[in-house]
Amino acid sequence: MTAKSIGARLAWLITAGLFLFFFVLPVIWLLLAPTKSDAEIIRNNPFAFGSLDGVVTAWRNLYAFQDGVIVTWLRNSAVYTGLALLITIATSIPAGYGLALTQFVGRKTLLTVTLLTMIMPNAALVLPLYLEMDALGLDGTIWSVVLPFSFFPFGVYLTYIYFSSTIPQDLLAAARLDGCSEWQVFRSIALPLARPIVALVGFFGFVGNWNNFFLPFVMLPDSAQYPAQVGLNNLLTSSAVFNTSSGVDNAIMRPELALATLVTVVPVLLVFLFSQRALVSGMLAGATK
Amino acid sequence: MSQATVPRAAGARRAAARVANPAGRMGYVFVAGYFVLLLAFGVVPTAYALWLSISNSRGQLVGLGQFTRTFADYRFLPAFGHVLMYLVIWLVTLMVLVVLLAIMLHGRMPRTSSALRFVYYLPGALAGVASVLLWLILLDPAASPVGWLLEAFGWDTLAKVIAPDHLPVLFTVIAFWTGAGGWIVIMYGALNNIPHEVIEAARIDGANVLQIALRVQIPMLRKWIAYMLILAFATGTQLFVEPQLVSTASWGMIPDGWSVAQVSYLYAFQAGDFHGAAALAVDLVVVGLACAAVVVFRTGLFEKD
Amino acid sequence: MRIPTSRRAPALAALAASLLVLAACGSADPDPAAGASPRATAFTPVEQVPGSELLVWADATRVPGVEAYQKAHPDVKIKIVTYSGDANGANDLQTKVQLFDRSGSGWPDVAFNVNYNAVTWASEGAKPYAAPVNQGLIDKSVLDGFADGALAPCTVGENVYCVRNDLAQVVLWYNKKLFDDFGYEVPTTWEEYQALGERVAKEHPGYLVGTAGDPWTPEVYFWAGQCPASTVTGAKAVTVNLNDPKCTRMATLLDKLIAAGSVSKDTVFASGFIKDHADKVLMMPGPSWYGQVLFNSTFKTPKGQIAAAPPLKFEADQAAFTGNVGGGVWFISAHSKNLKAAADLVTWMTTSTDYQATAGTCPAYKEAATAWLKGQQDTGYFAEDVAPAFTEAAGKVWPGWSATRYSHEAIYASTVVPALNDGKTLTSLLGTWQTAIENKATSLGYTVNP
Repeated sequence: MTAKSIGARLAWLITAGLFLFFFVLPVIWLLLAPTKSDAEIIRNNPFAFGSLDGVVTAWRNLYAFQDGVIVTWLRNSAVYTGLALLITIATSIPAGYGLALTQFVGRKTLLTVTLLTMIMPNAALVLPLYLEMDALGLDGTIWSVVLPFSFFPFGVYLTYIYFSSTIPQDLLAAARLDGCSEWQVFRSIALPLARPIVALVGFFGFVGNWNNFFLPFVMLPDSAQYPAQVGLNNLLTSSAVFNTSSGVDNAIMRPELALATLVTVVPVLLVFLFSQRALVSGMLAGATK
Repeated sequence: MSQATVPRAAGARRAAARVANPAGRMGYVFVAGYFVLLLAFGVVPTAYALWLSISNSRGQLVGLGQFTRTFADYRFLPAFGHVLMYLVIWLVTLMVLVVLLAIMLHGRMPRTSSALRFVYYLPGALAGVASVLLWLILLDPAASPVGWLLEAFGWDTLAKVIAPDHLPVLFTVIAFWTGAGGWIVIMYGALNNIPHEVIEAARIDGANVLQIALRVQIPMLRKWIAYMLILAFATGTQLFVEPQLVSTASWGMIPDGWSVAQVSYLYAFQAGDFHGAAALAVDLVVVGLACAAVVVFRTGLFEKD
Repeated sequence: MRIPTSRRAPALAALAASLLVLAACGSADPDPAAGASPRATAFTPVEQVPGSELLVWADATRVPGVEAYQKAHPDVKIKIVTYSGDANGANDLQTKVQLFDRSGSGWPDVAFNVNYNAVTWASEGAKPYAAPVNQGLIDKSVLDGFADGALAPCTVGENVYCVRNDLAQVVLWYNKKLFDDFGYEVPTTWEEYQALGERVAKEHPGYLVGTAGDPWTPEVYFWAGQCPASTVTGAKAVTVNLNDPKCTRMATLLDKLIAAGSVSKDTVFASGFIKDHADKVLMMPGPSWYGQVLFNSTFKTPKGQIAAAPPLKFEADQAAFTGNVGGGVWFISAHSKNLKAAADLVTWMTTSTDYQATAGTCPAYKEAATAWLKGQQDTGYFAEDVAPAFTEAAGKVWPGWSATRYSHEAIYASTVVPALNDGKTLTSLLGTWQTAIENKATSLGYTVNP
């Protein structure tokens, strides 16, 4: 029995460790990259540590790129994803609840249509969306990015599945029999339990939009409006690593690119840690119900 | 499927809900906000794309003309072949490993589990430029942090690492590296919502970890797994980012029309042929919908428990 | 919350509007093979608004130049947008222009593009994006000041649709220090090049005389060898014949050197190459930008070692020819409301000695190039003055290789390079390569003649 449990523990450790290795090794490399010079990145041991001065140099070069435009990119990203996040949560949580726990004509149609739009390849939707924004007079405004960002069928499905597999129907039925209105049922029963799903939807919505390249690229006509991903792409293509016509004065090389990506990833990781806590608190809520 | 594991009088409850909620008008209120967004940014563009796929640049209806035309394209069959190969490897890997890892992490050590989930997720935060930079180095045995591993397989140059036969597996590794962490978090969250009593009861009945996983946890994750399957299938058929990424990181050694979505993109933005592009996209949607239909009916995804 | 129907109206209006836009644009032949309707021969500008703002798209490298122009011309209103410039195989400009064509607005008045192939799509269609600059926009005297053949990729029929920013003529780069150490002579013919390649493989194994794994190998070797792989013969007709003796002679040469081990199957920018082979490059035919971008910035080859020799010649040929790898171009939009200001900006960007003399790449405008080459000499990086080789090569780019809508680099890198690394020979791959070019060309509406 004990031998068996030791074996099980060992198997657990090996598997978890193997995947830890798989997921984290490249990230460690990326973390170390800005401490080195471009030549050191290629020639030295991949996991060698350069120096903190290397990071300072890389940051100086990065910040010198178009007078600190990276700050503008980050601010733009924050505005677009922040606004979209609010609209996403405000629309998809009630929608997922409505689909899961109320009965209305067209419920299955709505689920089916949502699924259909979710599996429609993006390349085919770019032109229609662009023309639509043009027709609505929103082209060139931040809304041409924020509104499509806010449409998050993935989150609606997450919420739908969450509510339909978490809240027992009889709980709602009892509340209704007690004379609660549908709105009160939603407020007093569903919302208190919704914390983990708000965290999940918010997180995935945030990351998806933060990392979205193509939509802002297509919609926004002005480089002052670019979010981080579109900006980073400009950074990449201006670097001598990828742009053979960049000339000699170019200071953007692998360390600067690595640092730029790390800087833009920080907000995503912060949001992840926050939503992790909400997920765990959801576990406790689940235990008390 | 194995609904019996969750003893519930579903029928009675559903009847009760219906009595209490006869008109269901509130349902419309709940979905209203989303409905507007769905219409504007889901239905209208999709409908327009569908129209594009059955018309030509003069605005005339051409029936299935665009479909037969794109079918005759020299890239069509290879691209579908590639995607099919990739799908098989990708779906199996994702399903098995995500469920396995989520259940493993849902053990008793909350701190370790939380840290591991964070670390497994980390790559998911890296997109676009970050991944280009990373794979640029990772895939080249001479400079790669995992060069010893690549060389152990006998691949000593970048070109050998990304030889055409390796691509489906390579793309699976990349997609898994970036995408699995997110799904593990979702599955973990779902596992949290299985009441402790159910698992305790099974444990008292003498079920071991494996039996609990197979007979209790996985059946109760049914809808989540179904959802993951549908989306993984759809995103798998739409494979675009990974080939594009490896192509950039290898100075073009992957054909620009390796996957169907790439061919569709080339139609739209290299040839300016939005109709052919839409037809290819519709092909993918049809395949994705077929899979979704099977999964939805088999798992009762749309049913209310 | 109860607003779905009122919000639905604009959405439906959008759909209707989209359909109308589609119908209005649906004049081109639906058959993609004829997707390029005959080119408009006479250029009719849109109504001009003097003094209106110029929208300028440029890559990050060129933006400081536009800003310098702005400073020198404070009365001109300019809005600068930074974009990728289509570096590294992107086609951002085309993507956006296609959307602008559909919505009927948004085109940049002036756009920079690192890839001169862009001229092919920009000069096509019912209303091409690019304005013919020779039709009253830029003086002939200015256009005549560009290096011989520099505007050839921009020229479609009678018209010049873009202005060349920089040249990327192929020269023979060599490491003077290694040549001195080994006691070798710099070759002047391909035959000598091959002999030296075989000799160094024996005497100093590991040292390289070139690479065949770069995406631009076709331009470096096959263009220089006058291989008819890309000769546009008419509107949307192209000749591709890789079985021509002028192609096979180069394939044979490379195969021999690959077998000997002195030509690598890697690309020079791969980390592996930089790490293991960068300091073992004896010589390497390559474009003019190799000097700074590759040897100085990427390989970090020390000062005073690298030099450039004029292009090589086959003994059987009358004269030496060379290839060309890239070179950016400036477009002026046919939709611009201020063509005069746009033309002035483009002229300044490409010809101003003040700006071009310190640019990263070799200017296409002769006068600016002279100043630029002087500047290169002053950097003290090169072991010898590169000006004679650069100037000679600039005038020797073989005119039989045309700009096409497809990229030879993408085709070569994805079909030939993996097979080379799988152990096949270039000679045996010419057929596969030919088919790949034919397929790609046909899919973009070209008629392919052998």
